[in-house]
Amino acid sequence: MSHADPCAIGGKQNQRLGAFEAPACNRNACPDEMAADAVHDDFESGLKPLWMRAQAGDSAAYAQALHRIAQRLRGYFRRRMHSLPDDVEDLVQETLLALHLQRGTYDPTLPVSAWVLAIARHKLVDLWRRRGRRDDLHDALDEVDETMLAAAPGDGSAQRDLARLLSTLPEAQRQAILLTKVEGLSVAEASSRTGASESAIKVQVHRGLKRLALLVKMEGAS
Amino acid sequence: MKTDTLIELLARSAGPAPRAVALRRLAPAAGLGFVVSALLALTLIGPIPESMYGTPVPWIKLAYAGALAAAAGWLAARLARPISRLAAPRALVLSVLIAMALLGLVAWLSASRADRMTALLGSSWLSCPWNVLALSLPGLGAALWAVRGLAPTRPRAAGFAAGMFAGALGALGYALACQEGSAAFVAVWYTLGIGLTGGLGALLGPRVLRW
Repeated sequence: MSHADPCAIGGKQNQRLGAFEAPACNRNACPDEMAADAVHDDFESGLKPLWMRAQAGDSAAYAQALHRIAQRLRGYFRRRMHSLPDDVEDLVQETLLALHLQRGTYDPTLPVSAWVLAIARHKLVDLWRRRGRRDDLHDALDEVDETMLAAAPGDGSAQRDLARLLSTLPEAQRQAILLTKVEGLSVAEASSRTGASESAIKVQVHRGLKRLALLVKMEGAS
Repeated sequence: MKTDTLIELLARSAGPAPRAVALRRLAPAAGLGFVVSALLALTLIGPIPESMYGTPVPWIKLAYAGALAAAAGWLAARLARPISRLAAPRALVLSVLIAMALLGLVAWLSASRADRMTALLGSSWLSCPWNVLALSLPGLGAALWAVRGLAPTRPRAAGFAAGMFAGALGALGYALACQEGSAAFVAVWYTLGIGLTGGLGALLGPRVLRW
């Protein structure tokens, strides 16, 4: 009894990964999926090297990777949120923030796109649950197709203003984020500017971003 | 704010991704779970006589609980990631459970017919699972907190693994105060206590493992 649960979950997960890695249908029968699969392969193979460099600390590669991911997320959410088009960009930003905070949980032996998809799906389910839209949830999850992260254009404006949210953070966290993220100072420079220790700055930035993610989520719920 | 601005904001001076995130969160939870359980067991129930440490009795319990804590901790660490390979940690958890079940069965069969009931039930079979569950609660809180700070996408399974982890740590502390001598007793009642903690974790998972 004790092991049945994780077994079942593991099976579901494999299926989920499989759906992303290999087309489930006959190629001749569904040309759309075939095209989407090629797009997906490009996506993963283009993203992986960027992402690995980003994980090692290359911020230019990180920005590039996040841009690519944002584009895919926009398409993914847009196709699943017909009834909430205004919330798409908010969810894209919320997912990007979650990816950033949780990038330590990425296992380099697995595809980046599958990791991104798992987080995006989690955020989408979370949104539906907050909105109490169970029917839409089923629609979104039963459909397993390879177009999941197909690109979609967008001007990238969100309804929610993160800058305003930033102003609601405690002073120390806001200052740490502004100095290191917006002004672009190094942690050492920010530390000498404020008089706080380097580890304190890092902690404040991390806490601030976490809190920001929470605020974004709460706004989405209300 | 435009998404492009957010990306620049995140990428600028992001630095390398943190490493060993699961270990860094689960290890303190393990330490806390074991220490609190051991302290509570030793003060509330009282330590076993020192002479018992010369026999295999406490060591079987400690080895079982320790091995299960390590295996379940590994499983919880995997389930705390959005996607992960689960086969190896799951197999290890099962192997530990099966090894203990076999050991208990051998001990039970090798007891004389008249002693079998005593071997299985000891004098504390009614309280043992509940004691393990109670001693595991601080560890369960710590383990759920640790997993919650990561990115579990299967909250029920992750809660279950965190519960097994905490339950094994609670049993590890309880072993310092439990006088039962039979491996059959350990295989049944310790496992039940750990399983109860796992079940509680699975119940709590979907409610508390939100991020």
